[in-house]
Amino acid sequence: MSAAPRSSTAARDVVHGSVHSGVHIPGDNPVGAPVHGVDDGVPATPAQRRSAGPGPLVRHCGPLSLLVVSLLAVPASFAVTTWVAGAAALTAQVLCLPLVVERWRALPARLLPGAVGALSVGWSAWLLGEPGQGDPLLAALTAALRLAVLVLPGAVLLAWVDPAEAGDHLAQRVRLPGRVVVAVVAALGQLSALADAWEQLAASRRARGLGPGRGPLSRGRWLASTAFGLLVDAVRRAGRVSVAMDARGAAPDGPARTWALPAPWRRADSVCVLVGVLVLAVPLVVNALR
Amino acid sequence: MVELTRAAPAALRVRVRGLSVTPPGAARPVLSGVDLDVPAGQRVLLAGPSGSGKSTLLRALAGVVEEGPGGEPAATGEVLVGGEGARPGVAGLLLQDPQDAVVATTAGRDTAFGPENLALAREEVWRRVARAHAAARFTAGREREVVTLSGGERQRLALAGVLALAPGLLLLDEPTSMLDAPTADAVRAAVLEAADGRTLVVVDHDLAGWAPHVDRVVLLGRDGRPAADGPPGRVLAVGAGGGAGDGELWLPGAPDPAPADVPAGLLAPRPRVGGDALVGEGLGLVRRRRGLRPAAPATVLTGVDVAVPTGRVTPLTGASGSGKSSLLGVLAGLTRPTAGDLRAAAALAARLRPQPWRWRSRELAARAGWVPQTPEHAFVRPSVRAEAAATAAALGLGADRSDALLELLGLAHRADVDPFRLSGGEQRRLALAGALAAGPAVLLADEPTVGQDRRTWSVVVGLLRAAARDGAAVVVSSHDDRLLGAVDPAGTAAVHLDAGRRVGGHRVAGPPARTPAGAVGAGRAS
Repeated sequence: MSAAPRSSTAARDVVHGSVHSGVHIPGDNPVGAPVHGVDDGVPATPAQRRSAGPGPLVRHCGPLSLLVVSLLAVPASFAVTTWVAGAAALTAQVLCLPLVVERWRALPARLLPGAVGALSVGWSAWLLGEPGQGDPLLAALTAALRLAVLVLPGAVLLAWVDPAEAGDHLAQRVRLPGRVVVAVVAALGQLSALADAWEQLAASRRARGLGPGRGPLSRGRWLASTAFGLLVDAVRRAGRVSVAMDARGAAPDGPARTWALPAPWRRADSVCVLVGVLVLAVPLVVNALR
Repeated sequence: MVELTRAAPAALRVRVRGLSVTPPGAARPVLSGVDLDVPAGQRVLLAGPSGSGKSTLLRALAGVVEEGPGGEPAATGEVLVGGEGARPGVAGLLLQDPQDAVVATTAGRDTAFGPENLALAREEVWRRVARAHAAARFTAGREREVVTLSGGERQRLALAGVLALAPGLLLLDEPTSMLDAPTADAVRAAVLEAADGRTLVVVDHDLAGWAPHVDRVVLLGRDGRPAADGPPGRVLAVGAGGGAGDGELWLPGAPDPAPADVPAGLLAPRPRVGGDALVGEGLGLVRRRRGLRPAAPATVLTGVDVAVPTGRVTPLTGASGSGKSSLLGVLAGLTRPTAGDLRAAAALAARLRPQPWRWRSRELAARAGWVPQTPEHAFVRPSVRAEAAATAAALGLGADRSDALLELLGLAHRADVDPFRLSGGEQRRLALAGALAAGPAVLLADEPTVGQDRRTWSVVVGLLRAAARDGAAVVVSSHDDRLLGAVDPAGTAAVHLDAGRRVGGHRVAGPPARTPAGAVGAGRAS
């Protein structure tokens, strides 16, 4: 486009004109007739819909405040230098769980990976701890508590992040590039579809007589082969999703896109960040007081 | 931001020259040297036998032909859409498998994806979503999670996603194959309305339904090039007169094909069972999503009483989303019902506990065969021959039955191909072969005739009837009136579902009164 501004504007007008000329365009109504009795307004955001229903207080929060608090846990964990600070920090976090957890029975499974990580870190700190640097058991306890303080907020808060909603916020508030956000949201969506894909695969294998047998060896083999099947399926799915997205105009070199839902920062988000900062500041306060 | 001008492109013309497509791994091209001109605004029906390359041609027009493993193009030749090389996003493409079209987790956001990419204003995006849902007769609501939709609902959602783009060229691959006749008619009318002022290329086996509404019919032959091309009346008359595709195409006015003959005893079930093979009482199914943030539970089935008699084909009917596939999954022992009890006949269960969902995989596979609605997601082996024989092999049986079934179903010449390379209709036939090869006493088939031409339809229906004749209990869920007529001419055997409940119709056989033993079994089950 080396032409002068005026002529390039004119050229664009001509292009527009040619697009419109001589062809039937169904007016402002390219998809179909307006539908009576069907809501065609902009719907509520996922956070607004969660607010309308029951649940713990965290349901009012949008994805950004949850992400921010989860990330603030990183510097907070650096402040865990003694077991006292760690225990105080973890206690404060645990006391906040009722604000976040809706279904307690799902909590152990959710916390299992973090617990295993904390225990193994504590274990190795105990094994590798150098004598003469205080009680190795306390050092191990501090290391385990540090990891627990690091992962607990993310483990419980991120369960409330809706991938599509997170995409809306990352694109419209954080101003990440639209194409990147679309790809990330699609990937997160695929991740959450993984459980369904596993069920589908397990069902088809079971129906074909390829399910697990009685022995642990046969179960192990079945797990390995189904996991491989899931991997193959995930790669195929990724290819199909990218075709489907391309076919709907998500071309990488396409124009800027819009977002179907707004990304409001609400009072609950400010409160969430404030409470998060207070809770995560506990180890700092403990350190300062000692 | 508000640029409605980009929203309503003009009808696009299509020009194809010397298009050949050889899918990676295939020995011969699916399309060879195809020339095709479609003027802007024309409505074209693309027809042909199963596996003749119809879907491949649509994909080429949409610019999404897959590449080989090394990135080499599978397609050669020239494809111009609106005077430019075909590229993704120009045409609106509805893929054959609606599972492939999902790009978001809720129905509303899924349909909104195209308008968002067109950079439409927010209010316009949602107006389009509402209109597209209405046009595609998608009634599940914009907040519904896509994973909870039935096959037919997904098909309509995928169509809505295409319509919301309002593209200048609509490419639709079997847009009504999973819908019941009244819904299919309504969706077809909506498609034709939406196609006003656009170019439309639709692939469908239902020639009678589309012929009166299209300007032109292109018949693809088995050799991968157009065998006939012209106005519907002339092309279909040629087809009926013994020309291209005779005996394979669903020509309007032709009598329904007779189900094919299947050698007696080929499908004889290994465990022989009489009476009702399965009896379900008060079957209910509620799906819950577990997690820290649980979703609202979805009630799929409620209080369904059903008996599955041997020696008969029991049709399972109902609008899409009424719970047919879920009930088949329960009957197939794949899903544990959350209410009620499903019990197998003593002769079928043998020494096992009576509830099929308690059986181990091999015990189940020796008794029941399942043909899923989208078999592509259920394949377990890397070649057609091994896929058909997989269950028989797991049970220590030979491959003679599965080879005979592949021969009957017209898949023997593709025995070494990867099942994922088959066409949609071929994949469904392969799933049927795999389910029947081990001689199950119960066969549960989900929409097995979708995507079949006359000849393959006749074999599929012949096999279902032969399985029943040889002594199996067959349940087939379908919207295909021809199939329902062929297996249940009196219309008395059907199990009809509406919103997860059994309605109307005649009971095949009253479920036996609850015995003390049954009560004990039910108690143990819960």
